[in-house]
Order: sequence, then C-alpha cells, then structure tokens
Amino acid sequence: MAEDLNWAVGGEAGDGIDSTGKIFAQALSRAGRHVFTSKDFASRIRGGYTAYKIRTSVDQVQSVVDRLDILVALTQRTIDENLDELHEGSAVIYDGERSWEAEIPDKMTAVDVPLKSLAEDAGGAIMRNIVALGAACEITGFDVEYLDEALEKRFGGKGSKIVENNKEAARAGQEYVQENYDLDHLGYAVETTDNDYVLLNGDEAIGMGALAAGCRFYAGYPITPATNVMEYLTGRIEDYGGHVVQAEDELSAINMALGAARAGARSMTATSGPGIDLMTETFGLIATSETPMVIVDVMRSGPSTGMPTKQEQGDLNMTLYGGHGEIPRFVIAPTTIAECFWKTVEAFNFAEQYQTPVYVVSDLAMAVTERTFEPETFDMDKVEIDRGKLVDQDEVDEWLDAQGHFRAHAVTEDGISPRAKPGTIDGAHMSTGLEHDELGRRTEEEDERVQQVDKRNRKVETAKNEEDWDYREFGDADADNLVISWGSNEGALAEALGYLEEDGIDVRVISVPYIFPRPDLTEEIEAAEQTIVVECNATGQFADVIEHDALTRVKRINKYTGVRFKADELAEQITERLSEEVPA
Amino acid sequence: MSSDVRFTDFKSDKQPTWCPGCGDFGTMNGMMKGLAETGNDPDNTFVVAGIGCSGKIGTYMHSYALHGVHGRALPVGTGVKMARPDIEVMVAGGDGDGYSIGAGHFVHAVRRNVDMTYVVMDNRIYGLTKGQASPTSRSDFETSTTPEGPKQPPVNPLALALAAGASFIAQSFSSDALRHQEIIQKAIEHDGFGFVNVFSPCVTFNDVDTYDYFRDNLVDLKEADHDPTDYEAAKNVITDGEKEYQGVMYQDENSVPYHEQHGVTEDMSEIPDGAPEDAMDLVREFY
Repeated sequence: MAEDLNWAVGGEAGDGIDSTGKIFAQALSRAGRHVFTSKDFASRIRGGYTAYKIRTSVDQVQSVVDRLDILVALTQRTIDENLDELHEGSAVIYDGERSWEAEIPDKMTAVDVPLKSLAEDAGGAIMRNIVALGAACEITGFDVEYLDEALEKRFGGKGSKIVENNKEAARAGQEYVQENYDLDHLGYAVETTDNDYVLLNGDEAIGMGALAAGCRFYAGYPITPATNVMEYLTGRIEDYGGHVVQAEDELSAINMALGAARAGARSMTATSGPGIDLMTETFGLIATSETPMVIVDVMRSGPSTGMPTKQEQGDLNMTLYGGHGEIPRFVIAPTTIAECFWKTVEAFNFAEQYQTPVYVVSDLAMAVTERTFEPETFDMDKVEIDRGKLVDQDEVDEWLDAQGHFRAHAVTEDGISPRAKPGTIDGAHMSTGLEHDELGRRTEEEDERVQQVDKRNRKVETAKNEEDWDYREFGDADADNLVISWGSNEGALAEALGYLEEDGIDVRVISVPYIFPRPDLTEEIEAAEQTIVVECNATGQFADVIEHDALTRVKRINKYTGVRFKADELAEQITERLSEEVPA
Repeated sequence: MSSDVRFTDFKSDKQPTWCPGCGDFGTMNGMMKGLAETGNDPDNTFVVAGIGCSGKIGTYMHSYALHGVHGRALPVGTGVKMARPDIEVMVAGGDGDGYSIGAGHFVHAVRRNVDMTYVVMDNRIYGLTKGQASPTSRSDFETSTTPEGPKQPPVNPLALALAAGASFIAQSFSSDALRHQEIIQKAIEHDGFGFVNVFSPCVTFNDVDTYDYFRDNLVDLKEADHDPTDYEAAKNVITDGEKEYQGVMYQDENSVPYHEQHGVTEDMSEIPDGAPEDAMDLVREFY
C-alpha cells in the first residue's frame, strides 16, 4: 500500500506517550527510514489528551498529513480525536481488557491486544506501550529487531534486565497479533534501507549549534517549548568546560548571560514569549553596552500565557521592535530543524562580529518535531568561528586614548568598536546602559549622543552590506505566483507544491530565515503576478514588513488555531487565495 | 596581577556627583583599598552595579565594570564569575536596588554562594529619586511618598541572608574607614558569597539615620567577643532588634563556592577556532 506510513500513539498525559513514540521513531530511523514526528499535548502533567504522531517513508518527509494508518489508542478520546484521519485501511490497537469499551467504527480494523496482561507477564504493567509497539511491528511487517536497538538506547542505562524485559514485552505483542489476527489484507510492508539517519528536534538542534559554536555559558528559566534547549545543554556543556545555570527567573537568566558575555564567553539564553517580555528590560542594555549575546525565542501561542502547548508565530513584532528607544539587533528565524543548528552557529558569529544581541526565533512546531537527517547535514568541519574585534594583548595599545583609557565604544567607520575581555591589561573599561562616550562613561553631550547612536546603527548598515541575507527557494522559479514564508512553515509548503502541481498550479516559494536584516524581495514580488505571505499568526506580521519593503500589497494566509499548517490544507488555501482579487 | 598596585589605581578620573558628605565616598574608598590590599588590580577586577546613587560607583572606579539595570546586578556578577573564575568580582548596590526590586535575586545569589563580594550601600532611603522610603526605612520614617511613615517593618537584610543560607554576613559603617576596609577585605577573601551591608548615610534626605546616629549607636562585634563561626551567636546578633552592630556576624569556614561545587574551573572565554574536535559525537548521539 502507501509508501508513507502514518502511526500514532495517544492517551492521557502521564501514560508514557512521548517515550513510546520516541522509541518507535528511533527504531524507524535506525531502519533507514525517514521520520517526521509531531505532538498534540495539553498544558498539564497528568490527564488531558496527548498524542505522538509519526509519519515515515523511505523518502524524505517534512510535514504532517491528515491520515493515520496505525493508531495505538490508550483511551477512547484518542480514537475520537483522530476519527477524521482514520480510514478503511487503518488498524487501531487497543486493550479490550481495560475498563473502557472501545468504540471503533466498523470500517477500520480493531486489533484488541491485552496490553496490560502481556506486559505484566513480561515483567511489569508499565511496559504495555512496548507491547503495543510489538503489535504495531507485526501489523506493518516491520522487523522487531529494530525496536530492540531503540529499546537498548532508551533503557541501556537502566541495566540489561530492563532492556530484556522490554524486548520480551515487544515480542509478546508481536506474537499475540501473529497468533490471533490475519492482517495481510491491510497490505502494510515497511521497507527498510541501509541509511543511517539522525533524529532530532529543533530545540536539540539549537543546543547542538550552540555547543558547536563554542557557547560556554547558558542561563535560563524553564518554559514550554524552550526548556528542551536547556535540558540538552545540561550535562553536555560541561564536557567543554561550560556551565548551565537554572536562574530564579528570566530577568536573572538574561542578566547572568550578559555577565558571562561581558566576561568574554559565548553566552546564550532561551525562552518563549512570556519570558521574552521579562527579558526585554535588559535587551536594550545588551544592545547599548554592545554585548555579544544570543537570545532564543521558541514561540508559542500568545498573548499573555495564551496557549502554552500550541503553535504560533506571533512574536515577530516583539523581537523586531521590542524594547524602549531604538535598538540595533539581528533577528534570525530558522526555517528547518537543520537551520536551527546552522543559524545558531551563525547567530554567535554575528553577535561577536557586530557586538549586538541576536535573536534566534524558532517556534513550537519546530521545537517538538523530530526529523531524520543525514548526519553530514551537521558537518562540524564546516563550523567557522569568528570572534570579531576581540583584541588580544598586543592590540590593546591601538585603542587607548591620550590618557591611556581603552576606547571600548570607539567611533569607527563600520560602527564596530574593539572589545577587550577582563584580564586584558590596560583594557579595563566601564559599560553602561546610560548613553556614554567612547570610553563608556555617561554623557548627555549632544554630539556624543548622536555619534554613539549613529555608530550603533551603522553596524546594521555594515552587516547589510557585508553579509549575504539570502533565502531558500523552491518550486517553479518562473511561476507567476509567489508564496513567501518564514519559520517552520517551509516543510508543509514544500509538500503543498506537489498537490498544487497536480492541479496544474505553478508556484514559486521563497522561504526567508532572516527577519532583520532581511533580503529585499521587491524584485521578486514585482516579477510575480500574485504574492501570498504564509504565517502562523492572525495579523500577518511578516506580510506587514514585506509590504513596507516592497511598497505594495500582498495576499495573506494566516493560521492561528494553535496547530501548524498541513501540506494539503496549505495547497487548498493557496488555490483559494490565488482566485481572489488582489487587495487594493 | 602586579604587586605594586595602589588603591588609587582603582580610581577613575571622573569626579563623583554624590552630594558632599555622602556615605558612598567612604564605602567606595573601602572597596578600592580592600581590592588593592587583597592583591587585585583593575585589569583582573570586574565591578557590577545596578541603579541609584550606588550604581554610579562603576563610573568613579577604574576596572572592568558594568552599570546595569535596576536590581539585577547580582545575576550579572554571577555570570561574570561563572565564565571567569579567574576574575575578582565585586557587586555594589543600594538598599532599594538590592532589597526591593532585587530582593529575589539577593536570596538566590546568597543560596548559590557565588564567589563574589556584595556591598550594599544602605542609607535607608531612596536618594537619587529625592527622598522616598526604602525597604530598610523605619516604619515611622516620614517621606514624600509615606507622609505618616511606611507603617511596615523594615527589611532586615542580614536576617534575610541568614535565612537564605549565607556563608558570610557582615555589616560596616562607611565613616569608620579602617574597620570598613577590614570587613570588606574579609568578604573578598571569603570563598563564596561575601555579603556586607554598609551603613552609608544620606546627608541630604535622611535626617534620622545620620552619622551621629550610627556613631552613638553602633556596637562593634570586635569588642563584643563575638565568634562569627558560631551560628547561634550569629543568629542572636542578626535578629537583635534593639541594637545596630558592625563587624562580621557570620562566616561558614567550610564554604565551597558555587563554581567549585559545579566543577567550573576553566576560563570560558577561550574557545577553539571551529567546532570542538569531537563535535561529530554530538551528532552521533542522535542515531
């Protein structure tokens, strides 16, 4: 049947849904299949519907679709929530011995497996999800040995006994289905390959990028969906002599990161919208003291606490304009998980080259989604580190004034001043959030004020000229229809092209990772007959800046339900928008 | 570090704009002398300050320094020390900066026991905003925003520190220059968070907690045969609401600073030119 297999496990939060899904995703990845995962979860620890979905194929997959082939349902709600996506060929694995009576429409195949009893026989009820994975292997013809590898990875640290019990539980599920059901008619055959893929999500990619880039200090405060960045770095950053501090709040976190950065370390914090609100207090200080720092915003639905476990791209304006006064900054929004890695590396370089705060803006869909990549995607030999104008001991003299004071905010042509880290002899200097002179000392002199403002803004002009603010492009380069996207929508858009092509609609897609500075798309927009900007927010924040840049009106597709775009849905909406009149 | 450092090396050529007679002059002198006496020099010292009269100190001293936002100086100091255990970190603040907006950070910096010296210039009033009540103002202290007094008890910063698990708690008086300097030096030498609350009178707006008041009322623990390693004795002195003390109230001799507890030894500012040599292992973890 379909090359593409869509599998899900669902139940109540606390049912081990996440780890079950992750184990199966890892097994598929080990089998050389591409995997794309997504999660539905509620903001609570126990109770509340939660699901982990996997789309897998031998080809690359990069979005979710509206189809479920195998569903492991631990509750009736799991079935009800996914009814639209289940079809005639779907198999639903459930435990008939449990107290709930499963209502499964006749047209799909109900596979009743005594998950709990079989798990107990294998060593503990806790392994019932593993029994279900064994059953899923049998239904799809997927070799259970790949599952063994994932179980070893997952439970290896807990001792061989646990690993063996889990393997036994998987076999029990597999054998039960083999003995009690004949499901050949479903026609699933999960092909494997010899490819070795790595499977990771956006938060992990950001953390890995930070380590590759030499980040040594991280301070943060837990918040969904950014916490995983901190969890990834904890325990790994120490291997490189670094440290993670869980601060008492976001205000503290960003100030700690600022302190480490002024001490000369590559330093980062990550949070989500509500945390950015608090950090904005210090944002201006970072910019005006010209401290190199990376701030990650993993967006979720706002405003206020909004929907903490739901997707949105609503913080663009805040990262672009947040903070009082006028603040030079860079804003980079990775468009794929791989870019979460590379753009984080780049963010550290920009921060030090231009001595500015750099926002890396990711989102929930990217943060909780795992995807397979060829390991070379993250070729560490390609990581370059540029520390900018960090002066060494021999260079300090060039930057001293007549009295021997270090000119930490020297007015230069490119807007970038020298930077001396503590310990550099004769480099001692003051930094402040107050307007200051070249030495960093408070001033209210009109000339000095203007010079410093111009100097800081000149860094942005220099960066605009020096760097390549490019974008990724796919689809038909000569098409009359242009679709522009930013952030995590790229995968769904790429797949939407297939649907559009079937309907004879040619589209050129531009996916932009740079929000500020950003590429000038005026020519591209002028060359197109119609332009649509796609984003997960209600007002079209990126569309606004595009209209501003190109001095023209664009069409918009906005989704703010809390759920990411799906490929088929996007194709439909693009078709619809193209037939509408161009806005005046 | 050079051996011939004099305390004036820590002085910048900016003239302080503090009011003539302000206690902060004496507080700062003690800090500069303390740093010099303990073998530091401006190039290995980082001074962090928040907002208020106290916040100006970074401008009048000469060292690596950051003058940050209100109440957040301690987190900045923490970041500096963690990234650079080789650097001497001193944080300065006022009673408003440290015990009002920064109270949360104070408690957590104390319990982390980061190896830095925290000097609070406590004048029991908001000076730079021209005379409003501060967290350490007396409950009947009349100001422009509290015409009948705050009608709430003042914060006892020493007790707050003790409750948070401080490893070093001291109090000094800015005009008792030698004693103040001696206490600051002990705080610098302490392995961990060295907290010194300094009575630093505001001559312009506070006519209650004056030089004369402190001269007449301060009890010096040096003369009271106080053993700072005795926790119970420290508790008694700190919670004694009747008297004002100067001296080291408490010192945990077994204090292990945060960075040592967490195995941080390296200068984090030194990194390779590219990704670490074994960086592909980070990728392989995701197989």
